[in-house]
Amino acid sequence: MIEALLFQGLVGLSEAMYLWMVAAGLSLIFGVLRVLNFAHGSFYMLGAYLTLTALRAFGGNFWLALAALPGICVIAWGMERFFLRHVYHLEVAYQLLLTFAFVLIFDDLTRLVWGPVYQAPPTPRGLDRAVSVLGRPFPLYNLFILGVGVALGVGLWLLLERTRWGRLIRAAAMDREMASALGIRVPRLYTAVFVLGALLAGLGGALSLPIHAVSPGMGELIIIEAFIVVVVGGLGSLTGAFLSALLIGLLHAYGIVFLPVFEMALAFILMAVVLILRPWGLFGVREG
Amino acid sequence: MRRRDFLKAGLVGTASLLGAGALGPGEGGAAPAAKRLTKPIRIGGQAVMSGPLGGYGQFMRMGAQLAVEEINRAGGILGAKIEIEFRDEELKPDVAVRNARYFVDVWKADFLIGIDSSSVALAVGAIMPQLDRVLVVTHAATEKLNEQLVFKQGIRQVFRISVPVYQDGILSAMIARDFPVRTWATISPDYEYGHTSWKMFRETLKRFRPDVEFVAESFAKFGTVDFGPHISKVMAVRPEAIFSTEWGGEAVALVKQAKLFGVFQNTKAWMCGMGAAMDVLEGLGKDYPEGAWVSCRYWFQYPNTAENRRFVSRFRERWQKYPHYVSETSYSAVYALKGAVEKSGSIETAAVAKALEGMTLTTPAGKRHIRAEDHQAVYEVPWGRITHDRNYPFPILTDLRVVPADQYYRHPPFA
Amino acid sequence: MRLDSPRTWSRGLLGLLLAGLLLLPLVTPRFYPYLAMQVLILSLMALGFNLLFGYTGLLSFGHAAFYAAGAYGTGLLLKHTGVSLLPAVLGGAVAATLLAVVIGCFCVRHLAIYFAMLTLAFGMMIHSVVWKWRDVTGGDDGLIGIPRAALALPGLGSVPMADQTAYYYFVLAVSLAAIVALRRVVRSPFGMVLQAIRENEERAAFAGFTVWRYRLGAFVLSGAYAGLAGAMLAPLENTVAPGVAHWTKSAEPVLATLLGGPYVFSGPIVGSVLFLLLKEAVVRVTQYWLLVFGVVLLALVLGFRGGFVGALVAWGRRLGRGLGPG
Repeated sequence: MIEALLFQGLVGLSEAMYLWMVAAGLSLIFGVLRVLNFAHGSFYMLGAYLTLTALRAFGGNFWLALAALPGICVIAWGMERFFLRHVYHLEVAYQLLLTFAFVLIFDDLTRLVWGPVYQAPPTPRGLDRAVSVLGRPFPLYNLFILGVGVALGVGLWLLLERTRWGRLIRAAAMDREMASALGIRVPRLYTAVFVLGALLAGLGGALSLPIHAVSPGMGELIIIEAFIVVVVGGLGSLTGAFLSALLIGLLHAYGIVFLPVFEMALAFILMAVVLILRPWGLFGVREG
Repeated sequence: MRRRDFLKAGLVGTASLLGAGALGPGEGGAAPAAKRLTKPIRIGGQAVMSGPLGGYGQFMRMGAQLAVEEINRAGGILGAKIEIEFRDEELKPDVAVRNARYFVDVWKADFLIGIDSSSVALAVGAIMPQLDRVLVVTHAATEKLNEQLVFKQGIRQVFRISVPVYQDGILSAMIARDFPVRTWATISPDYEYGHTSWKMFRETLKRFRPDVEFVAESFAKFGTVDFGPHISKVMAVRPEAIFSTEWGGEAVALVKQAKLFGVFQNTKAWMCGMGAAMDVLEGLGKDYPEGAWVSCRYWFQYPNTAENRRFVSRFRERWQKYPHYVSETSYSAVYALKGAVEKSGSIETAAVAKALEGMTLTTPAGKRHIRAEDHQAVYEVPWGRITHDRNYPFPILTDLRVVPADQYYRHPPFA
Repeated sequence: MRLDSPRTWSRGLLGLLLAGLLLLPLVTPRFYPYLAMQVLILSLMALGFNLLFGYTGLLSFGHAAFYAAGAYGTGLLLKHTGVSLLPAVLGGAVAATLLAVVIGCFCVRHLAIYFAMLTLAFGMMIHSVVWKWRDVTGGDDGLIGIPRAALALPGLGSVPMADQTAYYYFVLAVSLAAIVALRRVVRSPFGMVLQAIRENEERAAFAGFTVWRYRLGAFVLSGAYAGLAGAMLAPLENTVAPGVAHWTKSAEPVLATLLGGPYVFSGPIVGSVLFLLLKEAVVRVTQYWLLVFGVVLLALVLGFRGGFVGALVAWGRRLGRGLGPG
């Protein structure tokens, strides 16, 4: 019984990693730019599709295909530089509207370029098998994703806490005017943060390619969950995003076993409870 | 496009075109067989075209359009050309109802076909008496359409050319009764289709095999991409076989992930009612485990008849693809309408509906009999096992099992 | 009556519009009155939404919850009780209002993105309820076979509503009454206080107004309007499916309002017209309507933030300045 529960939890944690990769960028962008990016799920989708195209070009080598991911950076750069930049001073509604417009545009462009039918390339050789965990077969790919997610978390932490660039980001997140007065080129920093965030989501999409079916519209399936993660974790808090992604993963995994009738609503219930009791999130800092 | 069709038609069917011209706009009088229609016949279709299931709209259009092109090349229906247009149903009943109303009231559609989602089919079906047009459903599988809307409520305008959920819930159990399996579990969609087919499966199988037990069930919400928690929940009780009604991209993701969880080594059977859909076969390709039991609403190698072989080769010629089941159902829907218009000599809804009732058609999927009581087309679709064959770019079915449709379709009065 | 007075002009325009709406079923194919009903229903939902957004400064992302409560409430009443049309529609609206009281109590102390996310969460909870409570709601198949009961008028007998034209006049009458009522509300002292809160919450509080009570009042009234909209949908379509509670439905009044203009009373109405007509026009030409709509939204955010009506008003002012004495 205990073993079954642990196994179930491990499955939940491994699948939370996709959510974490999307939420990480979403949270980072919100923390610095103060924009909740509806189109962040689209970067997840585009990451998967760009990798898919490269996969075909490189004769099916998944690792080589990941080289297509910088394509996301170009798209994200264009979106920030020419559009998003003009709405930082506007109300939340207009920021959401602008990024929502990109959701629609990216969805239909994907349908135009890659067609309306979902795609599912094979799982990479070597990772397409199970290993024994707690006496039951567990996908090696899930362990791999778990490793990537944790490594990404550590890497982001080091980047923000231990590098000069990280300090600049934190300074800009704290106080834009102050950062600007200190000589930080804020617009360039904003672009960089947006591109980095998009790249993280794109990586998540690319890594989902081998075991999911990718399709136009897949971004909408994950973006609302990613919203929940960053809100529950505390808007702008990366640690919070990581821990709450894990929490949501566990909630799904155990909800499916113990409360299947409420499973659809569990994440939303969690978000509502957190917002009512601790609006700044489980791991966020109370403002003001 | 249209011009070329016209020229081709001119070469092939000069006689019928001349006939149409000669008869002019006269109505009635002549016997049905000699009657000529003067205006083009318009068919309004709808299917999902956007989002994760958007491919279904494309497959459906391919079939319908092929039928229209064939018919127009051969002179049309009683001399009238067919015009067809498709709209995105978006899986939303309100959008689909608006589409249907646009087609009938503005675009002047004579007939409606298509529809993927059950809730959309029920919503559009319900307004057909108001719109007074024949609707031929080509995919949505809810048994409520024929059992409630048509049979109980008496909506005479609604027909379905595709197999309902009986294929997934009842026939599956008749196949499964021979398996050396005592414990079953399911991973299926968390909506009516998933719940209903699992219920039918359990009830039917229990009748044949009182010794069988149903040990676990997990229903995945619409739009699920990660089936891991569902798989591990169900596999924790070590069932001997898995039954699923996931379809489209979700079926692909489920099978790929189940494979990684070692499900296929640790169970004796895998059954998936939509697993033989062309998108799933192409989506999984070499990843599809050998021996999985699958079905759908039409399998392109069954039956081995001249009509079917001709359809498959024409379809491949036109689209460079093997036909999806919704391509066949929409193709046959257009031909069913053609048959009914020719039989009744009219495009009036009541006459065409009457002509469709009890009609038997020869279609690529075999003989279809449209029951007069509930307007459900009765025909056989096999279950079979996945095998990999070098002659095809996707896995195909072997060991086909066919049961006469009368034995597994529920019958009016649906007590 | 002076012809050059803007007031005369706008009254005249309004009169023409009203005449057009009254004549619509008589002069156009059946589809257009149907589309007009969808526009009216979306207008009511968007007007309700905008009472919170434009007038009070709260962005709700969960108005589909109330829309669904109205639709399912009315649908269930019509299906399982013998009530006539008006009580059924009002019953649905009341159900939505009660739901808005409960949800509102939790939400109105939050602002900006937190308010949006909290309303989103409640909206999606309602969506799960209608999806999963299959015995009552029919699950994802929806509540099917909702009859369109006759309209009982006390002392006058009852008017059958099966005919679409009859129902069109019912929807038109109810919508116009609701629009006029809401216009009075926003111009009442209550409406003024809401706008004062939007502009400066602290000053309003200082002036002695209990801010959260006013917000709750706006929230409940807003939910009631969304509920009334949903209530009229159920007899129109004869079917209600869980999509009416999904967040994508909540996005519709947001889009319509921003399209029309949030700071003018008529903005959400004009926006609803544009939203549905634009979609109807685009899907006749291409299946890539998301792309077209996305580009329109981009242009809106970057160039016409006042929405269509806002742009019109600004244009009118410029024109007025150019023509006027100086």
